[in-house]
Amino acid sequence: MGHLLQYFLNGLARGSIYSLIALGLVVIYRGTGHLNFAQGEMALFATFGAWWINDHGVPLWISILLAAAGAFVVGGLIEFSLIRPAGKKSPFAVVVITIGLFQAFNSLSGLLFSGAATGLKFGTLFPNKPTDFFRLPGGATWRYENIGVLVTVLIITALLFLLFQKTKIGLAMRMVANNPESAKLAGVPSNKVLMLSWALSAAIGTIGGALVAGVNANVNLGSMFNVFLLASAAATLGGLDSPVGAVIGGLSLGVVESMVTNYPKNWLGSTYIGADTAIAAAFVIILVVLLVRPSGLFGSTRVERV
Amino acid sequence: MNAMLDIKDLSAGYGQVQVLRGLDIHVDEGKVAVILGANGAGKTTTMRAISGMISRKGSITFRGESIIKTAPDAIVAMGIAQVPQGRGTFTDLSVEDNMRAGAYVRKGVRADVDADMREWFDVFPRLRERRQQKAGSLSGGEQQMLAIARALMSNPKLLLCDEPSLGLAPIITQELFNVLGRLNVERGLAILIVEQNANLALRIAHNVFVLETGAIVASGTVEEVANNDIIRKAYLGY
Repeated sequence: MGHLLQYFLNGLARGSIYSLIALGLVVIYRGTGHLNFAQGEMALFATFGAWWINDHGVPLWISILLAAAGAFVVGGLIEFSLIRPAGKKSPFAVVVITIGLFQAFNSLSGLLFSGAATGLKFGTLFPNKPTDFFRLPGGATWRYENIGVLVTVLIITALLFLLFQKTKIGLAMRMVANNPESAKLAGVPSNKVLMLSWALSAAIGTIGGALVAGVNANVNLGSMFNVFLLASAAATLGGLDSPVGAVIGGLSLGVVESMVTNYPKNWLGSTYIGADTAIAAAFVIILVVLLVRPSGLFGSTRVERV
Repeated sequence: MNAMLDIKDLSAGYGQVQVLRGLDIHVDEGKVAVILGANGAGKTTTMRAISGMISRKGSITFRGESIIKTAPDAIVAMGIAQVPQGRGTFTDLSVEDNMRAGAYVRKGVRADVDADMREWFDVFPRLRERRQQKAGSLSGGEQQMLAIARALMSNPKLLLCDEPSLGLAPIITQELFNVLGRLNVERGLAILIVEQNANLALRIAHNVFVLETGAIVASGTVEEVANNDIIRKAYLGY
């Protein structure tokens, strides 16, 4: 039992990071119906930015917030200058552009930050000495760092929820997501809303990237690749237009990953079933869920009577 | 006297396809105007052109101000609200959120919006009962009422209704036109309605325009049009 709880807690920690990147994907998808393939690499670039600011003597948490603010601006500019003009011509052009951005941000990171390929040392926002943990009944330990990551993600989710449900700008975002034509007729400047979605998504991604880097104590060019794969899987699992789905999808994939990686190791006493099994298992689950519920666990299956 | 909405020589279309070719329409303050026309005559295009949803040429003035180059959000803010064809409700949003969505362009305080919402819920009591329900789960008639209530939330001076009777049972359609008629008589709201269901529309209308392949082929007061044999046969069916 101690193992089960331990693996569960470890999984929650991984999963909260998937949730955050998945949330970024969902924010854009809801507004535009586009899947931003560059989400992970934009976050990576911003994380390098946070590292750079931090390297100049600024406290880490301020560096991360500054990088998130920078990403907010860059995200908006990307929508304005690349996605919007391309989207008018063809939705496929947008897909190609986000794949291009994926490559561009990765290469740019390597170009601008020397040592990016092998990795730069990244601090953490939370206490992470070997002794920083709670001991839970049954012998499992819950590290402060993992709690911090989970709480951060839950706070951001709560803030997003408030933004969407309680503010006028959130109402506008839901209007555009649900019916762009009617939103326009009701006087919503859709373009500004879509720009805001990209900006917001990039800022959320930055926090996600910084948390990944913090947990690994390192940021390198490959940091976000697997994270993005699992995050996009999490968003698909939860339903691409549901923020709640992104969080639950992310957390459950994290837990599945942890179980699938650790249990065979225990039983077989070897490591020939590696960490990659997790990704395979994650995608098997998604395949099954999507066969049963094509819009994901929490995605809106449109209720419509005519 | 100048018309409230004055459209002259309006042309508009989609890409290469020209749908409207030199349209003239006007709506007077406090009056109801109806555009009659068959499928494909350009009725919806006319509505979309007025709201600024498609690029257009010619002249459109609203209370003396040209809106031919004005963006859709500014047009709503000036007081022209459209109920689009097919209702255009926000199906995933609750009835209440749909109403708030309608008030998006208003700068005022939330209390004013809440007060107006209560007032429109008095006019549409069924919407009040379902205020927490997703709009997509309402019946077709309720959705049409919601679409109208939502448009009214923007405090319009002129309401554009694009085929409000589409897909509704006759009794619901009748109720709908009663509501529109009351809005006009009791509150002096000017309304421009596009309809195929001519008989009901004419009951509340003051002026009629007949649209054929992108241009107005006949117009006049309801009496004039009703006395015109050709129009009566073509659009009223008797």
